[in-house]
Amino acid sequence: MTSATADRIGIPDTSGTDHTPRRRSKLVLRNTLLGWSFILPNFIGFAIITLIPVVTLFYVALTDFNIFGKGEFIGLENFPKLFADPLFQRSVVNTFYYAVMHVPLTIVVSLGLALLLNTKLRGIAFFRTAAFFPYITSIVAIALVWNLLFSPDYGPINEFLRFIGIQNPPGWLTSQEWAMPSIVIISTWRDMGYYMILFLAGLQTVPRELYEAARVDGTNAWQRFWNVTLPGIRPTMFLVTVLLTIASFKIFDLIIVLSPGGTAAPNQATVVLSQFIYQKGFIESKFGYASAAAVVLFAICLGATVIQFYINKKRSA
Amino acid sequence: MNRKFAAAGGLAIVATLSLAACSGGTSETADPGASAAPVTLTLSGWSLETTPEFQTLADGFEKETGNKVELVEYDPAEYNTLLTADLGAGAAPDIITQKEVKYVSTLVAGGQLLDVSDIEIPDSVSGAKSYEVDGTQYGTPYRQDSWVLFYNKDLFDAAGVDYPDGSWTWDDYDEAAKALTTADHYGTYEHRWQSTTQGFASAQEDGDIFSGDFEYFADSYERRLAREAEGDQIDFATSSANSPTYQGEFGKQHAAMLPMGSWYVATLISQQKSGEADTFNWGFAPIPQVDDSTTSEPVTFGDPTGFGINAAIDPAKTAAAKAFLEYAMSDDAASTLAGIGITPANTSDVVSDAFFSVEGVPTDDLSKFAWSTHDTKPENPTSDETAAVQTILGTMHTEILMKSKSVEQAIADAEAAFKAL
Amino acid sequence: MSTSDLIVGASVVDVTETPGADPLQHSKPARGNVLRIVGSILLVLFALALLIPFGWMVLSSFKDSNEVFSVPVRWLPETWHWEHYVELWTKTDMATWLRNTIVLSVVVTFLQVLTGAFAAYGFAKVRFPGRDVLFLVYLGTIAVPWQSYMIPQYIMMAQAKLTNTLVAIIVLQAFGAFGVFLMKQYFESIPEELSEAARIDGLNEYSIWARIMLPLSGPALASLGLLTFVNTWNDYLGPLLYLRSRENWTVQLGLKNFVANNLDADYAMLFTGLTVSVIPIAIIFLIGQRYFVEGIATSGLKG
Repeated sequence: MTSATADRIGIPDTSGTDHTPRRRSKLVLRNTLLGWSFILPNFIGFAIITLIPVVTLFYVALTDFNIFGKGEFIGLENFPKLFADPLFQRSVVNTFYYAVMHVPLTIVVSLGLALLLNTKLRGIAFFRTAAFFPYITSIVAIALVWNLLFSPDYGPINEFLRFIGIQNPPGWLTSQEWAMPSIVIISTWRDMGYYMILFLAGLQTVPRELYEAARVDGTNAWQRFWNVTLPGIRPTMFLVTVLLTIASFKIFDLIIVLSPGGTAAPNQATVVLSQFIYQKGFIESKFGYASAAAVVLFAICLGATVIQFYINKKRSA
Repeated sequence: MNRKFAAAGGLAIVATLSLAACSGGTSETADPGASAAPVTLTLSGWSLETTPEFQTLADGFEKETGNKVELVEYDPAEYNTLLTADLGAGAAPDIITQKEVKYVSTLVAGGQLLDVSDIEIPDSVSGAKSYEVDGTQYGTPYRQDSWVLFYNKDLFDAAGVDYPDGSWTWDDYDEAAKALTTADHYGTYEHRWQSTTQGFASAQEDGDIFSGDFEYFADSYERRLAREAEGDQIDFATSSANSPTYQGEFGKQHAAMLPMGSWYVATLISQQKSGEADTFNWGFAPIPQVDDSTTSEPVTFGDPTGFGINAAIDPAKTAAAKAFLEYAMSDDAASTLAGIGITPANTSDVVSDAFFSVEGVPTDDLSKFAWSTHDTKPENPTSDETAAVQTILGTMHTEILMKSKSVEQAIADAEAAFKAL
Repeated sequence: MSTSDLIVGASVVDVTETPGADPLQHSKPARGNVLRIVGSILLVLFALALLIPFGWMVLSSFKDSNEVFSVPVRWLPETWHWEHYVELWTKTDMATWLRNTIVLSVVVTFLQVLTGAFAAYGFAKVRFPGRDVLFLVYLGTIAVPWQSYMIPQYIMMAQAKLTNTLVAIIVLQAFGAFGVFLMKQYFESIPEELSEAARIDGLNEYSIWARIMLPLSGPALASLGLLTFVNTWNDYLGPLLYLRSRENWTVQLGLKNFVANNLDADYAMLFTGLTVSVIPIAIIFLIGQRYFVEGIATSGLKG
C-alpha cells in the first residue's frame, strides 16, 4: 500500500486536488482527530502504564541512585564509566554476536516452516502444533534437556558426531567458544514456532492470482518465491524482523539458565546486556548505572528499528 | 505536553522512592513496659508451608508477650527483588527477615532499616557482626548455619574406612574420598555453589575477599580438580548438565560424604522418614581443617539469618518489634527452633540438648561436637562491595571448574576485575 | 523442470501457491513420490526433535522427585507415580491457580486484540502529523527490558492500590505495543480499494474498521489472540511481582512453589503441573489453527 494512497485517506470527495491552505489545514485537523480517536483507548493505558515508567528510567540513568532511590543527579557521568567497563563491553559484543546469528537463522527457519506447513493437508495440524511446542515448554525443562542433549561426554548429539567420524566434537554449552552458538540453536528452536505463526498469517495475504500469473509466465518455484511471495509478505517480514531483532538484543532468560556452569554469575562467553543490567541493578544495587546501560540497550534497539523502518518505507513506495 | 507530564511523573516517582527511603528516621523512645494493648506485627517469610521456623517464632512470641505476629509470604528465589519493590512502595512488613547477608548493606544504605543497637545480644549468640554497618547494629541473627561434613556410616563400613574423628585435614579427606569410591558411588559429592570451595578457603586461610588478592583459593581448587580427575567426585561439567540435587546425591547414596550446611540435618531426617531418601546410618563431623592446630575449635563458614526492623514502622510498634528481635535470640526461642531441626544463632547447652533430642538426629559425640563447637567465619562479610565481589568470584569459580581457564589465569582475571570495580 | 525444482517443487510450489488445494497425491511421477516419503520421514523426525524436551518433561512427572535429576540421566521412571496427577488437584490449589490464569488470559487477550486492532487502524490507514514518530515511540518501549522500569511501575501501581490484584496484571498487559504493531502490519496489506468502495457506499471509518478490516483480518486476529493468550498464560515475572496472596496465584506461580527453595524441590510435581498447564494451550492451538490459514476472499477484485 503506497503512501500516496494513504495520503488520500479521509478525503470524502476523491477529487482532492484543491490544495488551498485553509482546506489543507482543515484536512490535517480532521485526520489528526480521526487518527487519535482510534489510537486513544490503547494509548491512554500505554502512556500511563508503560510510557511514564520508561521516561523515569531515562531520568534515573542520569543519577547514581541505588535501588531505593538514594543518590544524586550526576548528569551524563554514568556513560563514560559504562563504556570503559570491561564487563559492559563484553556484554555488548556478546549481545551483537547473539543477535547477528539468531535473527537471520530464525527468519529463514520460521519462514521455511510456514511455507512448508501452509497447506490444508490432513495431519498438518500435528506438525504445526509440534512446531509450536518448544515455545510453550517450560524453560526449566528446556534448559535441562538441552544440557543433556549437548552433554559433551554422554550426550546423543556428540555420540552421533563421533559416530560419523568427527573425532573431537565441540564442548557445546560447556565450552567458551561454543556456548553462545549453542544458545542460538536452542533459542531458534524455541522461537521458530512463534514466528512461524506470524508468517503463516502473512502468507494468507498474497493473492492466489499472482502465483497463477507467474506460473503462466513460465517462472520456476524459486523465482515465484523471490518475486511474488517475498514482496507480498513485506509487512509481515517487517513485523517479524523488528520484533525478532529487539527480542534478540534483550535476550535474558535463556542466557541465565544455559550459561556454562548454570549459575547466574556472568560468564565471559555469554554475558549479555540484559544480564549486565540485572546484575548491576538488582544484585549490586547500582540502579542509576544499570539504568544507563538500559538506555544504551534502548538506543541500540531503536537504531536497528529505525533503520528497518526506513528500509521498509522505501520498499513500500 | 509530553515532556512536562513525563517530568512531573518522573519527579513524582523519584520523590516517592526517596520518601519511602527517608521516612521513619527517628524511633520513639517508648518505654518497654508501656505496650499495654497487644500489638500486631507483620513479618516477611518465605515458603511458609515448608519453612516452619517463622510460625514457630510467631507462636512463641505471642505466648510470651501477647503480641501477634502475622506472616507475609514471599517467593524464596526472588525474595530480595520483591522485598525491594515493597519497600519502595512503602508496603513492606514491620519486621524484615534478612534472608541473605549480602543485601544488608544495600538496605542500610537505602535507609530501610532501623538502628537496633539498644538490643542486648547474649554471649552465646554468634553472627551478630553480619548486621553491623559502620559500627551500628541494624539487625540481629536468629539462626546461624555452619558447614559440616555429612558422612554415610554404612558406606564407610562397607569400604572399611574409619569414620572421621574430628581431626581430619584435607589430605585425610582426599584419601578417604579415594578409598570410598566404588563403581556404584562416588567418595564424596561437592555441590556446584561457589561457597563449597571458596567458603572453606576464605575461612581457613584467613582470606579476605575484599583485599583483591585471591591467590589463597588456588590450593582448594587444585585439590578439587584433582579429586574430579581421579573420579572420586562428579565433575562440575556433568553436574551442571544434569543438575543433580545434593539431597538426592547423598540421600540416595550416590556419594559417601557431603560437605553441606547444617540445615541439611532436618531435610535428611524428613526425607528418610518419607522415603525420598534411603534408610542408612549417618552422622556429621567437623569439616576437614588445614592442619591440626584448629582441632579444638574447627574453622568453618556460614552465614546467619536474622531480622531487621523496617525503618518506616509505625513508632507505636517499635518497642514490640525490638522485643521480638530479642525473643528470637533467647534460650526459649532457640530451643523451640532446635526442636524442629534448625540451627539457631544461640547455641548454649540448653539449646544443644533440645537439638539432639529430636528424633533422627545422630547423637554420637562427634556430631554433638561438630554442631556446637566451631569458629564460624561469615561467608558474606557485610560491606557494600559484597555482591559485586561475590559475582566476580562466582565467575572465577565457573571458569576454573569448567576448565575454560587455568587456575592461575582465572585468579589473575578475577583480581583484575576486582581492581576495575 | 530441473531436479532442484522438483525438490523445491514438492514442498514450496504446491503449498504456497494453492493454500486450499486438493491433496496432491494423484498424478505425480514416481520420483516425486519417493521424495515425498523421504520428506515426510524427515518431517516426522523433525517434529519428534521438537517434542523431545516436552516428552522428557512429561516422563519426569511420573518419577520420584529425587529421581528427576540424576547422573546418568534416566528417561523412563523407575516406578510410575500416576498419583501425581491426582495429587495435583487434591493436594494443591491447582484449581484456583487455573481459574485465575484463565481469567487473566481471556481478559487480557480480549483487550489486547480489541484496543490493538482499533489503534492499528489509526496507524495504518489514517495519515496525520506525528504518526510515524508516535509509532516509533510505541516500538521503542518494546526495546526497553522490563526489569529496568518495573520498580517505578510497581510503585505507581501501589499508589493506585492495584498491587496484589488481578486487575494489575490486566492493566499491565492489555495495552501493549505488540498488538498494535501486529495488526498495523496486517492492515497495511489489505487493499485500499476495499475501503474506498465502502466509503463511496457511505460508511464512516469506524464502520469500515468493524465491517471490512476486522473480518478480513482473520489470520492476524487469530495469531494475535493465540500469542497473547500463550504469553499471558505463561507469564511469570509479572504475576510474581504483583500477585502475592495465594488466592491470586496463577498456575506458573503456584507450580514454582514446588521448587520452593534448594532445600525442598519437588520437580516431579512441578512437571506434572506444567504438563497439565500446557494442555489447554495445545487444545486451543489445534482447534484455532485453521484460522491462521484462512484465505482472503479477493474474488471480485479487479487486479
